[in-house]
Amino acid sequence: MPNVKLLTPLIAGIVTAATMATAQDLRLGMSSEATSLDPYFHNLGPNNAIARNIFDNLVLQNEVQSLTPGLAVSWAPINETTWEFKLREGVTFQDGSAFNADDVVCSFKRAPDVPNSPSSFGTYLKGKTVTKVDDFTVHFTTEGPYPTMVNDISTIAIVSNESGCDATTKDYNHGDAAIGTGPYSLVEYVPGDRIVMKRNDNYWGPKPRWETVTYKPIKSGPARVAALLAGDVDIISGVPTVDIAHLRENETITLSQGSSNRVIYLHLDQFREKSPFVKGNDGGEIKNPLIDQRVRLAISKMINREAIVERVMEGVATQAGQLLPEGFFGVSSKLEVMAYDPDGAKALLAEAGYPDGFKLTIHGPNDRYINDAKIAEVIAQMLSANGITTAVDTMPRSVYFKRASAGSPEGLPEFSLVLVGWGAGSGEASSPLKSLIRTYDKDRGFGASNRGRYSNPEVDALIDKALVTNDDAAREALLAKATEVAIGDVAIIPLHYQVNTWAARKGLKYIARSDEYTLADGVVPE
Amino acid sequence: MKTVSPKEETPFGRFVSDFFANKVATFGFLLLILIIVLAVLAPWITPQNPYDLKQVTVMDSSMPPGSEALAGYTMLIGSDGVGRDLFSGILYGLRISLTVGIMSGVIAMILGISVGLTAAYVGGRTDSLIMRLVDLQLSFPSALIALMLIAILGKGVDNIILALVIVQWAYYARTVRGTAIVERGKEYVEAAACLGLPHRRILFRHILPNCIAPIIVVGTVQTAHAIGLEATLSFLGIGLPQSEPSLGVLIANGSQYLLSGKYWISVFPGVALLLTVVSINLVGDQLRDVLNPRLQK
Repeated sequence: MPNVKLLTPLIAGIVTAATMATAQDLRLGMSSEATSLDPYFHNLGPNNAIARNIFDNLVLQNEVQSLTPGLAVSWAPINETTWEFKLREGVTFQDGSAFNADDVVCSFKRAPDVPNSPSSFGTYLKGKTVTKVDDFTVHFTTEGPYPTMVNDISTIAIVSNESGCDATTKDYNHGDAAIGTGPYSLVEYVPGDRIVMKRNDNYWGPKPRWETVTYKPIKSGPARVAALLAGDVDIISGVPTVDIAHLRENETITLSQGSSNRVIYLHLDQFREKSPFVKGNDGGEIKNPLIDQRVRLAISKMINREAIVERVMEGVATQAGQLLPEGFFGVSSKLEVMAYDPDGAKALLAEAGYPDGFKLTIHGPNDRYINDAKIAEVIAQMLSANGITTAVDTMPRSVYFKRASAGSPEGLPEFSLVLVGWGAGSGEASSPLKSLIRTYDKDRGFGASNRGRYSNPEVDALIDKALVTNDDAAREALLAKATEVAIGDVAIIPLHYQVNTWAARKGLKYIARSDEYTLADGVVPE
Repeated sequence: MKTVSPKEETPFGRFVSDFFANKVATFGFLLLILIIVLAVLAPWITPQNPYDLKQVTVMDSSMPPGSEALAGYTMLIGSDGVGRDLFSGILYGLRISLTVGIMSGVIAMILGISVGLTAAYVGGRTDSLIMRLVDLQLSFPSALIALMLIAILGKGVDNIILALVIVQWAYYARTVRGTAIVERGKEYVEAAACLGLPHRRILFRHILPNCIAPIIVVGTVQTAHAIGLEATLSFLGIGLPQSEPSLGVLIANGSQYLLSGKYWISVFPGVALLLTVVSINLVGDQLRDVLNPRLQK
């Protein structure tokens, strides 16, 4: 039997290669690969994008992350603690079985509990109970009011009660369990090489645009661009910033760009008396200066965000002053980008008792965000030029995130100054506030990515209050206020919001998405 | 063929005149000397210390050859994506590459010589054991072994050198053993043994000096190999840190610009690496020819 399993994709591969690409076939060159076909295994952009092709969620997010009906046709709170979702009738899974409330209940049961998940969906599901009312009605109940219920629910794909709920991640990767209600059904998955899908002719929504869809990971930037120029793929994601200028002048290529919900920022160690990567100018241990708000503010003032955006990102990014770009729910209208002010920074450092600065190491990934290693190096330049002698250490994300979150001997965040990014999966400000800013609280799922362990009771109270305020305007004001206090404290140092670029061959274009996903049906004729 | 009468020649003099009889090898030798001198003098002749982040500014990034930097000097061959002057960066990178190549070569040589001599002199089971170990190691591609070692040891110049030593020692051990076995059977060794000289003296004073020629040849080839391997590891992002680039890191950074028209960012570090490796190999080839008695009249 294993032999057959090995042979099938091989033969299929030969057939695929032999088939000429037609207007109905779409080939996508991807900057990063999904780590699994199990939609709950890893809450990661590429995984979620693949899942969105094969599966549907109860509530879908459109390209600007506004909520639209998916497998649920309507939803409303029926009392303080209960939300009712009416399900879509007449939908079938790709294996022919009918969709109903049982699938929803079992999906939400499996979603938070996948073994070995590097980053689970638990954060969206803690404290929620789902019950079936009838075949096409479900209730989600929480202990208190829960206004962001629909945003949270929109992150979860629905798998089949028959084939998906008791399956393992392995079953999904083999394809046996990767059966959803989505616009495309899986044909084959060859990790490291391709994911092939075909149109689901019974899709409940608008007819899916492509007959077959092939996702190919091409991690190297220049190789990806070369593949597009050579016609090996129809569209690529993650166009390297250095290539945007010459692709824009190329008449056979169409670029699409969109601001993402991802902020690139710095965490600063604010919980240790002695921080492992902060040293005195003589190399000896010193008291952690990053605990002092004035030092954090000084660092923020030393960073020339305009230079990063113009010189490192080639103009393809937006300077950041808070956690989410303008236009998203809950952002503050009062916060502005911190101005580059080296003199002010030096004065603040002197006032805090560090007139001659200190030594520091910045850590960052080198294969996660656009130009991440370069950004780390440029920040080190800027700090070094202003008295804080800064070394740079970048590493692949597989090593980096483990160490950044829990790499110290005590299982705490290991680094002192951390370059990271955060994409607001729910499309509003409570997502970064809960995960990055609120006091770390493992049991309640708060501060899960608060790698500087910033903690301010005032901000916590504002966040907690916002999370139980049903009135949209009042909640938005609370989120904005919490952001203002946290940014005033320099809880984190925002650098810029990523702008994502896709490039397609002439005749096609991609509808840019703020969640950075590359979806097959987002590729449309020009 | 020779113009100087043999009687006036010392062995070293003959070696020198043989070596420089080949124009290409002479060119390689002079190039290598030039590269080494440039690398050694880098701190005094470059306009910028590329490892001092205070002196590097992103405002100078991606400038074409001949541009003027903010600090006022001319960037002869342009700057890279974070604003390093490429000329300075390449000379400093050469220092690292040469240091890593030579250090790892010398340490591996000492280790390989000791192991190879022991194997040849002791013979029997020890010999088989050591040589099977050498065979085992040589059966894996050296880049693969180095990759695994760096994954275990972690980044940094010292770890790279250690990894390269582990990769290279087997080549020396095998060469030395082969030559030493031949030498061991010769009469002068027997004579020395009859005189009751200690093993160590026979090994290091009698056998080893007669194995030197092949060791020198393997040494040059391996040094070039080590420099290439370090560049490979750094190119893959697991060698030396981003802010202290060796040639491999500079090339890796530049490779992102290959399609963008900013050719200088990758081409010049690549040329520097190429010239270094080629010059060492030219010298090594000529050494092999000159030192090989079978090729001499």
